[in-house]
Amino acid sequence: MTATLQKQPAPAPAPSPEPSDPSRGRELRKSLVLAAGAVVSVIALIAAVTIGTAGVGFDDVLRSLQVSIFGGTISADFASSYAVITQLRLPRVLLAFAAGAALSVSGVLMQGLLRNPLVSPFTLGVSPAAAFGAALVITLAGTNQLPAWATIAGAMVMALAVSAIVLGIATARRMAVATLLLLGIAMTQIFEALTSALQFTANENTLQAIIRWTFGSVNDATWSDVIIVGVITVIAVPVTLLFSKDLNAIAFAGDDAARSFGVNVGPVRIGLIALSVTLAAVVVSFCGIIGFVGLVGPHIARLAIGADHRHLLPFAALSGGLLLLIADAVGRTVIAPAVVPVGIVVAFIGGPVFIYLILTRRNTLK
Amino acid sequence: MSLSVQHLSFSYGPRRILEDVTFEVAPGAFCALLGPNGSGKSTLVKAIAGVHRAKSGTVTVEGRETSSLGRRELARVVGYVPQAGDAPFDLTVREAVMLGRTPHFGIAPRAEDRAKVEDAIARMGLGDPAERSMSELSGGQAQRALIARALAQDTRVLLLDEPTSALDLRYQIETLQLVRQITREEGISALIAIHDLNHAARYCDQIVVLHGGRLVADGSPAEALRVPVLRSVYEVDVEVDAREGAVEVRPRVDAAGFTRTGARLVELDEHGGIRADAVAVVPR
Repeated sequence: MTATLQKQPAPAPAPSPEPSDPSRGRELRKSLVLAAGAVVSVIALIAAVTIGTAGVGFDDVLRSLQVSIFGGTISADFASSYAVITQLRLPRVLLAFAAGAALSVSGVLMQGLLRNPLVSPFTLGVSPAAAFGAALVITLAGTNQLPAWATIAGAMVMALAVSAIVLGIATARRMAVATLLLLGIAMTQIFEALTSALQFTANENTLQAIIRWTFGSVNDATWSDVIIVGVITVIAVPVTLLFSKDLNAIAFAGDDAARSFGVNVGPVRIGLIALSVTLAAVVVSFCGIIGFVGLVGPHIARLAIGADHRHLLPFAALSGGLLLLIADAVGRTVIAPAVVPVGIVVAFIGGPVFIYLILTRRNTLK
Repeated sequence: MSLSVQHLSFSYGPRRILEDVTFEVAPGAFCALLGPNGSGKSTLVKAIAGVHRAKSGTVTVEGRETSSLGRRELARVVGYVPQAGDAPFDLTVREAVMLGRTPHFGIAPRAEDRAKVEDAIARMGLGDPAERSMSELSGGQAQRALIARALAQDTRVLLLDEPTSALDLRYQIETLQLVRQITREEGISALIAIHDLNHAARYCDQIVVLHGGRLVADGSPAEALRVPVLRSVYEVDVEVDAREGAVEVRPRVDAAGFTRTGARLVELDEHGGIRADAVAVVPR
């Protein structure tokens, strides 16, 4: 195909009458994909509640939801199922979904802002810092019984502090992408060494507690975990959508061109990275280290709905949530009644999926 | 004047990159920005585009000083086309062109934005690959998509930073002709940083030459491309041939096929002849 290059007369711009607007149709199709993803997610959430040793059916889940939302009485023979559903299964699947969604959105932000498809929410050192924070609290507590919030707080404070340090240093260097990546590597090394030092000096029980914390899991999910992780995710996604066109400009056109489109690259980058690391820090603090979702979730979403962030961000929340939901369901069934932590399962599922994507779709993951 | 640059200076820290640069580009004119590597071409283009903010001096577009405009307002009057490079993620051509509408819409593009994108795609002859991904395009098509992006941005000034450097001859010429055609049709002012002197002479109406951050020539191709200027700026012994209204620049070779460059320019006398006391050329 050749350019329209006749010297004179100038080629008429788009001679065809324009009854169909191709980009409009495309937007509609993407909205449909998004809606379909939302429907699948709801069905998957209910289905995931039915999985487990205590037999619970689809209708039991719906009945429990009806009772807990609209009120009503439950018969004695349904009481135990109701308790299992509302106190164990629902918080568990909702936490898995919310954590997956948060990590995946966090990954989309990080990949777009750093213009690198290989980075994840943990690239700036969030997860080793959180692990060290938790390990420090566990070590300091010694033999004392620790309330759950203490380790969560320790992990979150450390993760957010490291993020603030990395962003602070990077701001002084004009938020250059290479600076951020290298700082992340340095922070990862430092905090892994610190955690190792704690482990080296710890006694058997403390060591076990530290290591157990690092296996990301949703085993002890409570409603308060669900509410905190869920609310932060539900707030974050619309906020990111407000900046999705700026994110598009930075990710696809580069810093200079984005500035020429009127985007305030520095403030947008620092603000959205802060949001991204906050999401990751919250999830890591509540669930431990769940790798891979933040890397693979965005790529799965990109394959399904394209790279335009206006659709990618909400869809990535769904793909990440589903990925973690499925991983947890597998973890609960594969050697039931024992439960494999979701962090381990997701790496087993996500790894091969990722390799498949790399091999089959070179264009999207070039 | 559509684009007017007055006494523009710029430095990176202590390093002066641009020194008191002044020139104007008329509406509908296509101006080439020439100069050796490191002369400040790219910096000048970025300073006008607002990517860098200049230290002192003013840039005026259709009578409005750009320093008084917000970043987004500036993006509606000045467009910038970088050299086509690899993007980390893949967009379709249509989505990539839509990026040019960034300063015009809020959260989601409106019908007007989509219409401008379709128009730009049609004018750049990208109708067929519009739904293909950018990574599948040839180099020439990819560069045209970036120009379409700037066209969709719908600005009065178009800045191009060496858009032809990575293209083969056909695509270089097609790109230059497209830009010239756009400037004529839309009455916008285009400034292109470019290395090829003869392409600049052939396709541009005006040529400005930067040397060490200072403007050393400004005028029509015949006025700007003079032997003494080119010899001192590029440190190459050249001859300039004006025929059929076109200017052509060639390196001048002596009988041994040798062109004096850099320090060996001192072997030339003031008329360009070889000085009697100059050492004979010995090819190394």
